[in-house]
Amino acid sequence: MTTATIAAQGVGVRFRFDRQRRVVTSTLARLRRRGTETWGIRDVTFALAPGDAVALVGASGSGKTTLLRTLAGVLCPDAGRLLVRGRVASLLSVDAGLTPALTGRENALLLGVLAGMPRSHIRRALDELRDWTALGDAFDRPISSYSQGMRARLSFAIAMQAMPSILLLDEVHEALDHDFRELVEAEAHRLLRRGGMLVAAGHDHPLLERLCNRGLWLHEGSVAADGTFDDVRRAYVP
Amino acid sequence: MPAPSRPLPRLASIERQAAATEIEEPRTAVPPLAHVRALAAGVGLDVLLALTESDLRARYGRGGFRLVKWLLDPFALVGVYLLLVTFVIHRPGLAAGLSLACAVIPFQLVMLSVTNGLGSVASRSSIILNMGFQRTLIPLAGALTETLAFGSSLLLVALMMAAYAIAPTLAVLWLPVVLAVNVLVAVACAYGASLFGLWFPDLRALAISFVRAMFFLAPGLVALADIRGRAHDLLPLNPLSGLFEAYRSVFLYGRSPQAWQLLVPAAAALLVLAVLLPVYAREQREFAKVL
Repeated sequence: MTTATIAAQGVGVRFRFDRQRRVVTSTLARLRRRGTETWGIRDVTFALAPGDAVALVGASGSGKTTLLRTLAGVLCPDAGRLLVRGRVASLLSVDAGLTPALTGRENALLLGVLAGMPRSHIRRALDELRDWTALGDAFDRPISSYSQGMRARLSFAIAMQAMPSILLLDEVHEALDHDFRELVEAEAHRLLRRGGMLVAAGHDHPLLERLCNRGLWLHEGSVAADGTFDDVRRAYVP
Repeated sequence: MPAPSRPLPRLASIERQAAATEIEEPRTAVPPLAHVRALAAGVGLDVLLALTESDLRARYGRGGFRLVKWLLDPFALVGVYLLLVTFVIHRPGLAAGLSLACAVIPFQLVMLSVTNGLGSVASRSSIILNMGFQRTLIPLAGALTETLAFGSSLLLVALMMAAYAIAPTLAVLWLPVVLAVNVLVAVACAYGASLFGLWFPDLRALAISFVRAMFFLAPGLVALADIRGRAHDLLPLNPLSGLFEAYRSVFLYGRSPQAWQLLVPAAAALLVLAVLLPVYAREQREFAKVL
């Protein structure tokens, strides 16, 4: 695994709205002219070193998900510069990219390829993935028949199968059962020991404390505090 | 459920691959056409195949029933009319049913690609909102999905030729070229439809009506040879006209397609792609904002 790097300098992500207050792309906003805009995150600057695990804390709507999506490559910065080096695995929702009409096997193949693995390699790994997720026959049934826990376990297994050096979690680990939390923690610690990085957003501070050594407090889209997790938590919740 | 502490099994080959393919990605520096160039270099082939395969299963299900559906789909458009003119009405003109099939079947590919394209971004929303990938390939994968379905409906042409006792000639050697132009038009329409569906989600039904109108503004129901006057001169401006007439040349008239029948639709498709691909490459950066 090559050295993972995340460096953000003055990163901003802007959302534009038309007169009907629908979010529009920049091209359409230019054509429609009149409209408003807001920044999901603005002037965000931080850098992570290998082995860093950062907890994003802040109120709902403070920009945590927008920042995670930007790090995942889901959104592109409208301002500033962002350098992400390393393979990224992201679980930004419990479903984490799963397509309901496809089976677990088909989803694993699709998401594995989209994550950067060659088709031939992920095909060979499918049976191991089925055994590890303990989905049994359900692995060949559509995702729409899965429970939330089964979906989370499958999407997490697919994400980790791609051997990421950067793991992004958005409150996923908070919504699920004790077994799944332990699983996420164990895999996250393995990743960090290999020199990977973890960025996790959430409101469960005891869990974040077990996962993360650093904290980043986002307030109205900007960084309000950056430091050790304890310092940031004290600043956020005095 | 397995013990949570058990590490994920990984193939050694995957670990080697993971180490080899990590990239440095200064996101702000990615030029809009980077994805297009990557595809041209074959980098996105695995992604394209995976998207197409999943699209095929999500849209058409699994098993042999898919073939039946693909065969019946062209009938859904003008099927009753086709049966009537072939077996009941005996409309005047050269093999009216086959002539109609030569228009309906290529149009079916265009229509399905537009329908697929209009919802292609929304139907991938769960993936788009979770991870970065070559989103520029989404409409292309949709058009390829519909091309596979379209391949089955070509059997309808064979059925019509048998019904009218028209034997194939050496002109069928042109079929691969005609099919390639048809797919090119479908791909161009898929990119346009995908952008339209993204920008104007409320107007998707209007887009479908517009494409249907283009069918009737081309020699779809009646061959160009049977149309007189000014309309005969103007209809070839519609790129679909060349496409329909090329199929008629190959299957109905048994002769090589005229140059304009291939060049007009191909040039129109390339022009659309030249304009829309850079726009699409720029817009895909903001898909997650509007979903």
